Amino acid sequence: MATRLNSTDRRVLYLYGVTQSQPAKPIVHVGVDLQSPVEVIECQGVMCWLSRVSAEDFENSLTRNMENLEWLTTASVAHQRAIQAIAQHVDILPARFGTVFRDERSLTAHIQKQLKQISRDFKRVKDADEWGIKIFETAPTTTSVPKVSSGKEYLMAKAALLPKNKSAQIPAEELSEFQDELSGIADESAPAGRISSGQRGLLFQTSLLVKRAHRQHLESVLKKFSRKWSETRRIECTGPWPPYSFVSQDSKLQ
Amino acid sequence: MSTPGTLVFSDTNDDDQLSLVDILDHVLNQGVIVRGNLVISLAGVDLVYIGLDVILTSVETAMRHINATSGLPGKAS
Repeated sequence: MATRLNSTDRRVLYLYGVTQSQPAKPIVHVGVDLQSPVEVIECQGVMCWLSRVSAEDFENSLTRNMENLEWLTTASVAHQRAIQAIAQHVDILPARFGTVFRDERSLTAHIQKQLKQISRDFKRVKDADEWGIKIFETAPTTTSVPKVSSGKEYLMAKAALLPKNKSAQIPAEELSEFQDELSGIADESAPAGRISSGQRGLLFQTSLLVKRAHRQHLESVLKKFSRKWSETRRIECTGPWPPYSFVSQDSKLQ
Repeated sequence: MSTPGTLVFSDTNDDDQLSLVDILDHVLNQGVIVRGNLVISLAGVDLVYIGLDVILTSVETAMRHINATSGLPGKAS
């Protein structure tokens, strides 16, 4: 994806996130550009996880690259993997995708300015993970497309088999019963899903911050509602994610 | 913290690749410029949600670049 880095290329610091401590064993992982290693440096008593990446790709051309879905997919999956590698060992406050600093001095200055909020956020996400919840309208069981004589007819027939995109809604009472149960388990919730908001049949989605000790409780509630809704709806739950959606706007690590 | 996966509470799921869309959902949720919903319509039929479709296609290319060792969400049940 990225152009090959030459030793003479200017580099910027790409920040993955910050942690309060370092794992006992060093983390060896490739960075967001699939070339530079993940490194850790200490700033103001906070561990900053970063890679030294091409300034051309991640500073000058970032906006243009973000519009290239192939580049964006590769980079954001690599970003997730790097953060995941850290999060497996220590609680992390993830930075936004595409957060870069010119040098260590500008990174240190930023961390210093945000230090209070960062320490509040560490408490907020302690021993907790983010979970994504989606409810889909269940697709009809028929999957075969009848014989057709033109491409247009084929597409029409295929479309007829798909759940209607906007027709169905979860009755308010049922949805609030579901949300009430979840709010008893999650510390917080956040709006979710800019990318998948157009998924067909998607009725509802949210991100939850859930203490690890409550994970089984979350699963049992989701199972309960899945059984209850088995005729009409499907629940999908992804995670555990690093707490991407629960870093304060004020302490945005960017 | 373990590697993220997808728990599907029904037996009708047939789309493993959604987890990659989910990666983007979470990673990009907090703020990058993402193009709006682009729906391609062909012969009067909404074909695909192009964002998803292009992403899923580009993931194949992405995977060729990525050293598949860790961090890729699998599917749990």
